[in-house]
Amino acid sequence: MALTTSRSQFVGRIFFLGFIVLVYIFLLTPLVVVVIASFDSAEILSFPIEGFSLRWYRKFLSTEGVWLDSIILSLKIALLATIISTALGTAVSLYVVRFAGKWRESLRIFIILPLLLPEILTAIALLIFYYNIEGFFNALSVPLLSGVFRHSFFGLLIGHVLITLPFVFLGISGSLYNFDMSLEEASRNLGGGRFITFWRITLPIVKPGIIAGALLALIISYDLFAISYLLKPIGTATLPIQLFDYVRWEFDPTAAAVSTVSIIFTLVVLFITERLVGLRALRF
Amino acid sequence: MTRSRLTLLLLIPTLALLVAFLLLPYVNMVVMSFRTPSTSAVFAPGFTTANYLNALLDPDFYYLEILWDTMVLGFWTTLICLTLGFPLAYHLARTQSRIKTLLYFFILSPLLVGVVIRCYGWMIILGPHNGLINNTLKQLNLIENSLPLMFNTFGVSVGLIHVFLPFMILPLLGSIQAVDPALEEASQSLGASRLKTMFKVIVPLSLPGIQAGSILVFVLTISSFVIPILLGSYKVMIMPTLVVQQIMDAMLWPFGAALAFILSIAGGLVIYVYLKLTARLVPGVQ
Repeated sequence: MALTTSRSQFVGRIFFLGFIVLVYIFLLTPLVVVVIASFDSAEILSFPIEGFSLRWYRKFLSTEGVWLDSIILSLKIALLATIISTALGTAVSLYVVRFAGKWRESLRIFIILPLLLPEILTAIALLIFYYNIEGFFNALSVPLLSGVFRHSFFGLLIGHVLITLPFVFLGISGSLYNFDMSLEEASRNLGGGRFITFWRITLPIVKPGIIAGALLALIISYDLFAISYLLKPIGTATLPIQLFDYVRWEFDPTAAAVSTVSIIFTLVVLFITERLVGLRALRF
Repeated sequence: MTRSRLTLLLLIPTLALLVAFLLLPYVNMVVMSFRTPSTSAVFAPGFTTANYLNALLDPDFYYLEILWDTMVLGFWTTLICLTLGFPLAYHLARTQSRIKTLLYFFILSPLLVGVVIRCYGWMIILGPHNGLINNTLKQLNLIENSLPLMFNTFGVSVGLIHVFLPFMILPLLGSIQAVDPALEEASQSLGASRLKTMFKVIVPLSLPGIQAGSILVFVLTISSFVIPILLGSYKVMIMPTLVVQQIMDAMLWPFGAALAFILSIAGGLVIYVYLKLTARLVPGVQ
């Protein structure tokens, strides 16, 4: 009896682990496939790949700059969105955790609202809104906002900041909630001014939250699709959009080479995160 | 300036951003959905409820059918993600393995690689002509004609499940970790089998994670847009693709906005019913 129980337990355990391994394979296969495909020497992507080649990397670096342009645009927006949302997020987290009082919960929800709302809806709302405010000012004969938001870099950047801000906020407010206030009091008692206390005590302690939030914001903005698709300046494309257009009509492995570079970018950022603050500091 | 005024400076930039570029655009979109449609401009003066009525009372039920398909897709995607994600989250929450961080990394990295790239990976695997699966099966002489793995509901579902699975696993992971392992040991030493312990102890106690993950995956699915286009190629029409078509291609903003709100309200209702039902299934959990 004891033997059969342990055997059935053993079989159950094997099934359980087998299932887990299969799900991990399911999660990782598409990424591995893209990386392998990028080294395919064949003209039209096929599996198994015909031979090893770096030609698609050369092609992606030389294709009249479309790929490079889109990568540069993506990085530019991602960096700016990260800087802005980190600055705003640090300030507003301090306010919400320390000073918001009875408004704390409502403010918290308001700030993470862009995460709760479907991104495509926010994108549509912004698109319509940009047109309408421009039309509104034009109707008043003050063409104040012509081209400021509508299909402009600035308008696109605002969309990205909206989406990345909640991630930074979650990271920083998380580490502020765990903050031992007596450390600040001690600093003040020892004669540290408000600014010194913030700079030497508060900031270093919440730094992991800030770093994790900022790195996450960087990746999220770099990958953002719906917002960029609807709001991008006409005639330009961020990397995800350039890829989207390419893989629908072209079948050579250039897209795989570009994707591999992006995957490596993501892995590097994740690796830095793990080294600096640990992956667990990422809050979703 | 008093101290409290000074602290307001921390809040105001973010608040201004959110009011101007989140609140106002959404209010504006609600207004837009009641605008009179026009053929010469994006909308005409005056207000009407016709946009909603046209969508809901279409004699062929065209829009309601797409709405229904969207909800069904959301239901199945959520259920499958839960089925695949729960064992994975449980294993990761309890494992003492040295590769725990690596496993966590395996879950995070697909999540953080762009959705277009992940769909592209599936296009290479599922593709009808040179796809990995079809090519392999042909070379093994198992099939003669390509299996229809892509540009249909199957392909779209595979992409959706893959992209949204990490969103199910992470909340589950959080709430399973919060369940004291001693409770499992107690249940088993009192004679319950592993499976019974799983369904009577762990699942009920991790209900908050199950709810959060399910809602996340459901909302993401019914508002997904890239995946249906890349893996379904407009042959699988769901509400978000329809809405974007109406707004970007047909320039029918009032109608598109109305469709978007019909989708949101329907999605909200489903989530409400889901929360009520799951709360009733497990007594004592709000």
